[in-house]
Amino acid sequence: MLTLESMPNRPCHWLMGEGPKNDILISSRVRLARNLLAFPFMSKATETQREEIQTTLRSRLEKLKEAPGHLYVEMSDTHDIDRQMLMERHLISRQLAAPDGSKGVFITEGEDISVMVNEEDHLRIQAIAPGLQIQECWQKAGMVDDELEAGLDFAFSDKLGYLTACPTNLGTGLRVSVMVHLPALQLTGKIDQIKQAAKDMRLAIRGLYGEGTEALGDFYQISNQTTLGRSEQEIIREFNDQVVPRILQAESAARELLVEENPLLIDDRIGRALGVLSHARLLTAEEALYHLSYLRLGVTLGRISGLELGTINNLFLLAQTAHLQKIRGGELDEATRKAVRAEFIRQKLSRGNL
Amino acid sequence: MSCDRCQKPATVHIKEISGGAIRELHLCDQCAAEQGLAAQKHASFFESVNALIIGRTADEVKNLKCPDCGMTWKEFKDTGLLGCIRDYDIFAVQLAAWIETAQAGGNHHTGKIPAARLINGPDYVRRKQAILQMKAELSQAVSDEDYRHAAELRDKIKAMEEQAG
Repeated sequence: MLTLESMPNRPCHWLMGEGPKNDILISSRVRLARNLLAFPFMSKATETQREEIQTTLRSRLEKLKEAPGHLYVEMSDTHDIDRQMLMERHLISRQLAAPDGSKGVFITEGEDISVMVNEEDHLRIQAIAPGLQIQECWQKAGMVDDELEAGLDFAFSDKLGYLTACPTNLGTGLRVSVMVHLPALQLTGKIDQIKQAAKDMRLAIRGLYGEGTEALGDFYQISNQTTLGRSEQEIIREFNDQVVPRILQAESAARELLVEENPLLIDDRIGRALGVLSHARLLTAEEALYHLSYLRLGVTLGRISGLELGTINNLFLLAQTAHLQKIRGGELDEATRKAVRAEFIRQKLSRGNL
Repeated sequence: MSCDRCQKPATVHIKEISGGAIRELHLCDQCAAEQGLAAQKHASFFESVNALIIGRTADEVKNLKCPDCGMTWKEFKDTGLLGCIRDYDIFAVQLAAWIETAQAGGNHHTGKIPAARLINGPDYVRRKQAILQMKAELSQAVSDEDYRHAAELRDKIKAMEEQAG
């Protein structure tokens, strides 16, 4: 059974270092926005209505066939560190983690499905998987949607589809996103071209934890911005046939170019990263992510031996503030966190060689 | 020609025929935007005609308010969030243009349809919605001790629920 106590010590489902194309494409995610016909949207729901929504949805969610072993977390009873940990694992959004009013999240035992209750919409059904598995995520989220819909009336109109609090989610309510690791495009200065191309295709491009975290570890989340006028399959097909192949091709080409034309530059970055991470005694999360990004590149290019991709992926998670504190079993001040972070990473990297 | 509100050059011109009377409205880009009319330039011909047929003045647009949740058009424009599903009807004309812009021209759903809607026909969600509204009226009538009205509503709800399946 999944608990908030067991969670930090287990690897994160979508960071397993498995899954197709995962040298560049870390994870795939699909989310569906749904609202109950019987209640106002969140901005006009009273606290009593919010509680009623959560009670209704929680009891439905706990009866899903995906429910055995699940965890349901009511945000109001939950400590800051636990809320942040759920965010670091991409199981909830920043908005859900904010401490106001009745809201919660349902998480399956395998952490592959999470359903947020009372976020911007009454329901946000999310499925996440390592590597390129958009279709698989859609099937999982769609299945939960079908099961919930059998006993609930969702707000829907023939013309506008699923009705959402913000009309930018109307229609399918479907947001597809992939998390990609683009260090070579960054190093070769081509990242801005990719950002522009994404904008031209009406895609949103954000950092590891959404808006404003662009620079963190060369990770980018790319997602569709339009949800109305195309079917779910058309949106997914655009990702699988156009968006993903273009990004993979651009990053692969940049990596090949770097290795061919500037192997010293790339080995220098990787070597410095290994040096700092193996010997530093104090590390901020930002610095750790910066170097882990090059280490990950080194492993995927086969320029480092003795390290598994899974180990590095896991460090991306452990290096983060809430995970660190959970594993150490309590709140730590910033200076102690830096020391503990450096110690964790040093232990895990003791076998890496250039 | 200058804007009726601020005297800058007017770029949006609306002629409205309502109850035999003709009213004209001339606005600059900025004032039109504030009135929820800016996107008319990008809106389809149908939407523009629709706005004329409904025949609301700019002030009426500004003061539009959902009787169910109290949402106003201005509040929506400030937050980007609607208050209830009825807002989609109340602000239908203004939203049509807003949605077409936000959704890159997308204006009708072509994806998944809930099973209940497929089984029970196209009016299913609307009928359910009407029943919910009447139930709210019913509990109001009961708390007002208006039992005659409550009894009427109860019978209507029963009939509609049988029909809705």
